[in-house]
Parts: sequence; structure tokens; C-alpha cells
Amino acid sequence: MFAIRPVVANATTRSVGCQHRNYATLKEIQLRLKSVRSIAKITKSMKMIASTKMTRAQKTMEIARTFGSTQTALFTNADTKPTEEGTTLIITVSSDRGLCGGIHSSVSKASRKHVQEKPNSQVVVLGDKAKAQLSRTIRNNIRLSFNQIGKATPTYTEACAIADTILNEKIEFDQAIIVYNYFKSVISYEADTIPVFSESTFSKSGNFDAYEVEDDVLENLHEFALANSIYWGLAEGHASEMASKRSAMENATKNAGEMIDKLTLTYNRGRQAVITSELIDIITGASAI
Amino acid sequence: MSFFTKVARTAFNIKARAPARWYATEASASTSGLRLSFVLPHQTIYKGVEVQQVNIAATSGDMGILASHVPSIEQLRPGVVEVIENANATKKFFVSGGFAIINPNSSLDINAVEAFPLEDFSPEAIRANLAEAQRTATSGSSEEERNIAKVEVEVLESLQSALGSK
Repeated sequence: MFAIRPVVANATTRSVGCQHRNYATLKEIQLRLKSVRSIAKITKSMKMIASTKMTRAQKTMEIARTFGSTQTALFTNADTKPTEEGTTLIITVSSDRGLCGGIHSSVSKASRKHVQEKPNSQVVVLGDKAKAQLSRTIRNNIRLSFNQIGKATPTYTEACAIADTILNEKIEFDQAIIVYNYFKSVISYEADTIPVFSESTFSKSGNFDAYEVEDDVLENLHEFALANSIYWGLAEGHASEMASKRSAMENATKNAGEMIDKLTLTYNRGRQAVITSELIDIITGASAI
Repeated sequence: MSFFTKVARTAFNIKARAPARWYATEASASTSGLRLSFVLPHQTIYKGVEVQQVNIAATSGDMGILASHVPSIEQLRPGVVEVIENANATKKFFVSGGFAIINPNSSLDINAVEAFPLEDFSPEAIRANLAEAQRTATSGSSEEERNIAKVEVEVLESLQSALGSK
């Protein structure tokens, strides 16, 4: 008994201090847990939405890819080469929404590289995110920008409207390159380009003489090719974005899960410590009587 | 000496192997029909399929395309694209516009905005829409509206005549 007392007295003072701190941190941990749990719920549902959207976007993208590549096959078959001294129009395809990994910086980086190579090129940006990134460095090159991109699966009408606006703005160019995210697989994408050539550049192409063409058709063809390629870029970019969003959200959910586990462990440990110290209090109290 | 025999043997080997390679290219050449890709933004109708003949309505006139047609770029006008897959299978599509590109390698790429099988159209709906479009074309409020309606009339009239001739 005598031997225990000093120890008990010590333990009580320490446990009081501990108890006080534990109660505060327990409350904090509890709050933290709650917020992390709700974040995990949000990211999880965002992932679900992104994966359903991705399946749809992927279907659209595959068809759009066939459509677009059939279009650009002409330039390959005709052996069209970009002119060295001609002006270039860079169309950066991105979207308005964030939370989807490095989608926007990937296309921005690629566009910036093209501008560095040809400083006099003009830039048209589709989507607010890429616009914000590009206007930091190449603000003077940006001629036009569009927003409200990528809310839903892109439609051909959208692409036509964009192409129409570009043509109506009288932006002169000898070749356009559409910078978009090529959908490699559900977990990877890569910035790539689709070329579109103006009628003058196209009529200079190596194999052009092989084709029988009526003159007035070429201009229409150029406009059509621009719209088609924009559509391809949009569809492909949208699919990549959704895939990337899906994996970003999956990672976020996983991280939140790990955090929840860790916090629950700390919380339980803290609670156990509080219980233990309370028990010690009671027992020592009882034994003191 | 052995060097020469080796060279001779290699030469012979190449010669012996050559027919196999020649056969492979010959095989693809012998089926050199018209390779058709007929694509829409929202649907792929044909993708590199061998067909016998394709009849299109181009701005320069109606034309039938067989294998090894002279390479050309044709703008399509609203009309029927008739795909003759083989002697007893023919499909007719109505396209609103687009481009047909005949490449030197005997492949035909048709990019159209809209295309539907001819039998999917209802004559009543066409008649109703045509009347509506004709009204807008003459008494539309703005120039733009009237022009759009004129295009509509053109498409619908050719659609009607395509259905009539079926």
C-alpha cells in the first residue's frame, strides 16, 4: 500500500494532464475524421461519375477517331507538308473543369513549345483552364478563346460552331495544328497534334497533282477538315480528361481511405488511453479508501 | 571458295523465299476491290470494307466509283450514296453533305455529317418539314434564317426525289 501511494499520486497528476490533452485531441481527431470521411465520399462519387462519363466518352472518341483519321488520311496520301515560312494557328483543346490530373498542363506545355518554335503563331484556346495557364506566358499570341467546353460529351455541332467562329474572325493561317490529349488507354494520355492545312498549303502538297479537284471545292474541304479535326480533338480530349479524372479521384479516395485508417487508429488509441487513465483513477480512488 | 558458296546459297535462299513474299503481296493485290470508309461524326458505317461499287451524288454530278478510279476529291451534295457491296447486296444511304476522297491506293473515304438508310425516312414527315421550310424560306424574318431554310428545302427536295425514285 505504502509502496503504491507515491506511484499513484504521480500517476494521477500525469493522467490529469494527459486526460486534458487527450480530450482535446480526441475531439480534434473526431472532427478531422468526419471531414476526411465526407471528402472521401465526394471523391468516390466523383470517380463514379467520371467512370460512367468515361465509358460514354470513350465510345464517342473511338467513332470520332475513325472519322478524324479518315479525314487526315487525305493529307497523308497527298503528302502535304507544312510550309516553313507560313503562319501557324495553334488550337489548344482543353476544358473548363479541374480536378483531373495534368490534362490541362500537358496540352498547355505542348502548345507553349510550338509557340517557342514559331513565335509568330496564333493561338486559339478551347477551355478556361488552359487559357489561364497559357495567358501567363503567351498572352499576346492568343487570338480567341472559348469556354463552356467539356461539360458533356462534345458534339459535332459544337465543333462546327468553333470552326465557324475561327473562320469568321478572319484568322489567316497556312496550317493549323490542333493540340489535344491523345487517349492512349484509360490510364494514360499524351499531348498530340492533328494537322489541318489551308487550301494554298494543300495545293502545294507533293502528291496533289494525282488528285482530280475542282477549284471551288478546296475551300469547302478546308473548312470541313477544320471542323472535323476540331471534333476529333474535342472528343479525344474529353475522353482523356474523364479517364484522368477517374484515376485522380480514385487516388484521392484511396488516400482518404488511408488517412481514415490512420486517424481511426490514433483516435481509438487515444480513447483507450483515456479509458485506461480513468480506470486507474477509479481503482486508485477505490484502493485509497 | 566457301565464301562464294555461302554467297551463292544466300542468294539462292533469297530467291527461294521470294515467291512466298510475292505470293503475299499478290494475295492482297488480287482482292484489290474498292476499300470503302464511310464515316460520320457519331457513327462508323464502313471502315476499310471491300465493296464492288459506290455511287455518289457529287457537286460535279452523279458518279459511280469502281476500284482503281482516278484519284479525286469530290464534295457531296444532298443525295443518295449507294453502296454495292457485292452482286446481291446493295445499301442506300441519304447523306446531307460531306466529302468523298478517292485515294491513289484505290480506297474511298467518305466523310459525311449525317447519313441514314433510305428506308428509315418517313415520306409524311419529309412533306411536313418541306412545307415548313418552304414557308420560312420565303417569309423568314432574317436573311440568315431564310438562307438556312433554303438549304433545308434543297436537302428535303432531294430527299423526296430520292424516296420517290426508290
